[in-house]
Amino acid sequence: MLRSARYTSIFFAAALLVAGACGPATTPGASGSAGASPTASAGGAAGTLVWYSDLSDLISLDPGVVYEFSGTLLAHNTYETLVKFEGADLATIKPGLAQSWDIKDTGSTFDITFKLKTGQKFASGNPITADDVVYSIQRAIKLNKSPAFLFTDIAQLKAESVKASDPSTVVVSLPKTASTQGFLSILTFTIGGIVDSKEVKTKESGGDFGSGYLLDHSSGSGPFVIDHWTKSTEVLLKANPNYGGTKPTLSAVLAKHVPESTNQQFALEKGDADIAENLSPQQIKALQGKAGVTTASGNSLQLVYVGMNSTVKPLDNVDVREALRTAVDYDGIVNNLLSGNAKKVQDIVPAGLAGYNDATPFQADVAKAKALLSKAGQTSITLELLVPTGPAPGGAQWSDIAAKLKDDWSKIGVTANIKQTTQAELLTTYRAQRGQLVLILWGPDFPDPDANVGPFTDYNAKSIAYRNGWNDASIAAKGRDAALVTDPTKRAAAYKEITEYVLHNGPYVILYQPTKQFGLRSNVKGFVWSPVDWTEFAAISK
Amino acid sequence: MRFLAFLARRIVGIAAVMIGVSIITFAISHVIPADPAVAALGDHATDAQIAAFRGEYHLDRPLPEQYVIYVNGILHGDLGKSIRTRRSVADDLADSFPATLELSFAALAVSLLVGIPAGIWSAIYRGRFPDVVVRIAALAGGSLPVFWLGLVVIGLFYYQLGWLPGGGRLDTFVSPPPTRTGLYVIDSLLALDLDALRSSVIHLVLPALTLGYFSTAVIARMTRSSMLEVLGQDYMRTARAKGLTERLVVVRHGLRNALIPTVTIIGLTFGSLLSGAVLTETIFSWPGLGRYATASAISLDFPAVLGVTLLAAVVYPVANLAVDIAYYWLDPRIQRD
Repeated sequence: MLRSARYTSIFFAAALLVAGACGPATTPGASGSAGASPTASAGGAAGTLVWYSDLSDLISLDPGVVYEFSGTLLAHNTYETLVKFEGADLATIKPGLAQSWDIKDTGSTFDITFKLKTGQKFASGNPITADDVVYSIQRAIKLNKSPAFLFTDIAQLKAESVKASDPSTVVVSLPKTASTQGFLSILTFTIGGIVDSKEVKTKESGGDFGSGYLLDHSSGSGPFVIDHWTKSTEVLLKANPNYGGTKPTLSAVLAKHVPESTNQQFALEKGDADIAENLSPQQIKALQGKAGVTTASGNSLQLVYVGMNSTVKPLDNVDVREALRTAVDYDGIVNNLLSGNAKKVQDIVPAGLAGYNDATPFQADVAKAKALLSKAGQTSITLELLVPTGPAPGGAQWSDIAAKLKDDWSKIGVTANIKQTTQAELLTTYRAQRGQLVLILWGPDFPDPDANVGPFTDYNAKSIAYRNGWNDASIAAKGRDAALVTDPTKRAAAYKEITEYVLHNGPYVILYQPTKQFGLRSNVKGFVWSPVDWTEFAAISK
Repeated sequence: MRFLAFLARRIVGIAAVMIGVSIITFAISHVIPADPAVAALGDHATDAQIAAFRGEYHLDRPLPEQYVIYVNGILHGDLGKSIRTRRSVADDLADSFPATLELSFAALAVSLLVGIPAGIWSAIYRGRFPDVVVRIAALAGGSLPVFWLGLVVIGLFYYQLGWLPGGGRLDTFVSPPPTRTGLYVIDSLLALDLDALRSSVIHLVLPALTLGYFSTAVIARMTRSSMLEVLGQDYMRTARAKGLTERLVVVRHGLRNALIPTVTIIGLTFGSLLSGAVLTETIFSWPGLGRYATASAISLDFPAVLGVTLLAAVVYPVANLAVDIAYYWLDPRIQRD
């Protein structure tokens, strides 16, 4: 009797543990990546580029849904767009799937007519037609996910504004309040990725436009196709045999999720990784001069800045704001804190975009800053400085940059009380116009000056100008007008005037434009980082 | 019968704990002064997008109503949709929990296989050299930070010596075995996939040692002290007087009695291994529950945090129940209580 009770108890103990082990794994639909073959890894290491990166932001690979760094990087390599930027050049829009485009002012609208290249195919083998383009754009609008506002708000597109006039011609009608340049820039982004409508329609379920399927499959015409995505582990891309452009020399790209940068560095030095994306400036320095590895840098369009809420006294005074800008030691931040991993930029349009203004009039001028404060009738000011947790772009910790600012401002009698919170909490406060000084970054949504000038100047856009309580109707109007100018010289002049004005009147201390650093194996060739945060894997060889 | 009644009581207890935990977690997670919709959609989202998102996740409803919606979902087997990954929380947990479980089992195995013999050895050689070695190692195990230890073992065994892999669950070009339990070692055995088996075992070594070091130290110390106590008991002297070999005396008469306090510790240890895996998982790129929980908490992903909490609320009592059942076997006196 005793013995059998013992065996029963052992059995129960084992059963409980096994139940614990198996329970969640047998949840319906639990395999996560339905249909993603877990057996198809690899085609030998020789032609496979191994990319080590922190993929924790990856939530989808669908071009109508992605708006995160990892997702856009991968979707850019699996879908083609009507028009594109090549490499790091964001000045010239080049043909993609469209061989030409023509902009016509119809009086009530701007009509852009795209002529598709002939004989192009999707990875499935289906031909690329105007119907696919119409479906793709309408799909992104109707899905209404994170990037949809680029079409619906910025370009002011409606689903019915896109029409196929014949199998190789698409006409898009924009209202005259939208910028055609801006729209073309948006089309170069992943939301402009053209999906294979024939294939995707067969995968639609419950009005999801196939987004359940495209979450972890590709249905495009880019140089690579998605082989599988193992959640929290890796994404494998394989070369698309039907790709219409120059065939990639790589047969596959394996993006591995490795969050810890020390692991990335070790794996790179051991040759297990070909490219490591998230190395700190110190790690990059440590790599320099080592055998078998090299480093590369890429520009970014981000700006790290401090927002000064002009509804908070005494930040409503333009001289106080100018004093805060004047006191900061920008060179110290760029050269010491960031080890040169950034560019000193002080206006609201980053280098690399049309309308960039290279004026940098401010640099730790304590006497001038104090004079500005006394002109404003202020001698000592205490303000709260909201700061996110974790690393800032360029590699230093947000808290280190904040400490530097506090130090610089203390020299002119301004006490900044640092309050560090998660980005989510900080943004909740900032968006509600409840911050005082807020240290944060901004990256443009599309590579056009309007993507910065709009948010930074237009109070009614309820973006950055709103968050800082800066309601200057005349500069907002100038910003809206500049967006619509098509002549490049006139446009540059318009942005010069705007950026010059914001530089001294706006509620911002623009600190720097970060540079991104990568560790590479020495045999990796052709790697170019686009300032819009992706790289063309097809151009890389090893 | 008594056993079944005991089991039933415990299961009712687990259910009560889950209800309590869900209410507390739900309440706490909703007093954080940040908007999960902002966390999910970020800096650039328009007010309209945020409003739509809040509607989709019922964040615009009063808190009690949100709780009712949530519980109603659970009763229908739906843990909700993650705000961060936009997938069903059940799917996310199914992906990440087996990885943590496998790591925790491996760490527990290390703790038992090393900790118990070390504790016995240390007790037998009390005050002499082996005891000193074990006690120093145990002291180190209790005080070294996991993060530091993890980086050191990676630096040594992966980077310098190249003996073991530095992270992940499998080699770069080894495919995972077909999913049955989600535990790669078990799954590759079931599929007779020797490549995956070898790869998954060697990938477990460093993280399991790192994660298991602390609990090994705890178990060794506990075994040592209870063994010392047992060694001084009258029945041990009787056993020796009967002329049994020292080995038989220690293993058959001493160990079984000395293990009872150790088993208590094992139950607690297993729970702490599951939750303590966060740092180990980050250092070793281990796609487990700890990392999922951290990422979810940072992005204010309430459904995911609740899912993880509920899972933990099940796992802890289940581990303790397993311990209680083990008592039944180890100490027949308990059965008579």
